[in-house]
Amino acid sequence: MPITQSAKAGLAFALLAFVLLPVLAGGQWVKIFISTGCFILAASGVAFMYARLGMVSLGQVALMGVGGWVMLRMNHAFELPFEINLAVAGAVTLMFGWLLAMPALKMRGLYLALITLMAAGGLEVIFSTFRFPNGGEGFWGVMPSVAAPFRRPFLVSDDTDYLRYIIAAIVAGFLIIELHMRSAPGRAWAMIRRSEAAAYASGVNVVYYKAWAFGLAGFLAGVSGGLLAGGLGLLDPATFRASESIMLFALMIVGGSRGWLGVVIAAALYRVVPALFNDWSIDADISLIIFGAALLHAITTAPNGLSGQLTDLFTKEVKRT
Amino acid sequence: MIRIDNLTVRFGGVTALDAISADFSQPISGIIGPNGAGKTTTMNAVSGFLDYQGTISWNDEPVDALNPFKRTRWGLRRSFQREQIADDLTVLDNLQAIADNLPGSRSERRANVEQAIESLPISHLVNRKAESLNAYEKRLTDLGRCIIGNPKIVMLDEPCGGLQQEETDRLGELIQKIPLLTRATTLIIDHDVDLISRICAETLVLDFGRRIAFGETSQVLADPKVKAAYLGVEEVAQ
Repeated sequence: MPITQSAKAGLAFALLAFVLLPVLAGGQWVKIFISTGCFILAASGVAFMYARLGMVSLGQVALMGVGGWVMLRMNHAFELPFEINLAVAGAVTLMFGWLLAMPALKMRGLYLALITLMAAGGLEVIFSTFRFPNGGEGFWGVMPSVAAPFRRPFLVSDDTDYLRYIIAAIVAGFLIIELHMRSAPGRAWAMIRRSEAAAYASGVNVVYYKAWAFGLAGFLAGVSGGLLAGGLGLLDPATFRASESIMLFALMIVGGSRGWLGVVIAAALYRVVPALFNDWSIDADISLIIFGAALLHAITTAPNGLSGQLTDLFTKEVKRT
Repeated sequence: MIRIDNLTVRFGGVTALDAISADFSQPISGIIGPNGAGKTTTMNAVSGFLDYQGTISWNDEPVDALNPFKRTRWGLRRSFQREQIADDLTVLDNLQAIADNLPGSRSERRANVEQAIESLPISHLVNRKAESLNAYEKRLTDLGRCIIGNPKIVMLDEPCGGLQQEETDRLGELIQKIPLLTRATTLIIDHDVDLISRICAETLVLDFGRRIAFGETSQVLADPKVKAAYLGVEEVAQ
């Protein structure tokens, strides 16, 4: 299987981040990068659905919440290793994604987007009503005061190691997506994007492959939610509001949906920019204004997002020298 | 042989196809008619894209019970008025996208793709992204997709739409090779009567959803009813 230029650059970037980022980042910035990493993984799920299938999913962050909830529930209920809990979180969210997708699979465009948004709204209500498990009694497992400890993966107890763990998980997630792109599902998705008639004429079972895409996106959301739970030890319902799902999708458009750089930019805008503003004692809500301007910029001038513009600029420079 | 028997399609109160029957016994046959005559509707019915009454079969194998993607797996191939290839895939992947869904082992599927590439002048295009192809190369890729996996029925909806005369001639020659490369019965819709009369042995003429003529192409084209339909004048009372 040939390795593309973009893949080489991505792997080099990941390696650089793996080695340097935990060393250079201090204090709360490690936590911010952990959270950014989780959103990179989640955004990759929306991005491939949008770029390859032309499907708009506005429920990704809510699905992250499902993964996070399952992760915390497993952690506080059983003594299982981190990875098993993470796998369960991914699998449950995958099935949850399917369940949501069932009514939506025969729909396209706006209707599909609306159904995912409704689901995100429903989950928002559930999360804010029942909150996230923190070691309490019963099914919902919430106790009013302090939270019980969260078990990190073996040998990955401190935050800098955990950041490296997340970077490795992101690379694995991207490889899973790339593997899909280069095999039968990726080709079937491309035909579905062209038109359903084209897909049928290619013998593609449209409902089956759409469900597969939803499942993969749900799995990525679930794993990223589980990793976020591991990074913070407890989760806040405000993180998973429906508006956050819309925000992540919009920033994915800003960053660009084709390729790794776009989702890295999207997650960095989503998490790092507000944190920087906090650091500089600027109101973090100012970032919303910047996001709006960036979205206008991307929609009017950059069909492949900022990452597309950066890549074009880079190739032009290389050609010149 | 493709047998269409009493094919009727209704869209609400409009009868788009009114009890069309035709036995296409020649390797390549044509369907012509003015705009809105029901040509593409006929193809969409054969593809299973819309509900219809009547039966459609190939060599006495009925396809009516199969849904659209199962018809492709069974051996139906078609192209569309606008080529339907995925821009972000290479030509090879566009061909592979059909082969993926055909029955048979992995090596058989690969052989299917290679055979299609060898049969058409597209071997120099295989690694190009479809978005970089010109109109003719896209039509060639579309044709390649239609001959993969020894199909039973091939339907081409205006295969030469938007092409120049010389390209149309070359593509016409390639279409004539389909019966040599596959066992398929081929149906072609086109407005280009020259093309139809050159490559189609039999032709069905539709107008307002009704069959107005069917038979050997030259005889059909000489039929006064066909001329009337094409010129848009009332049939001369005889």
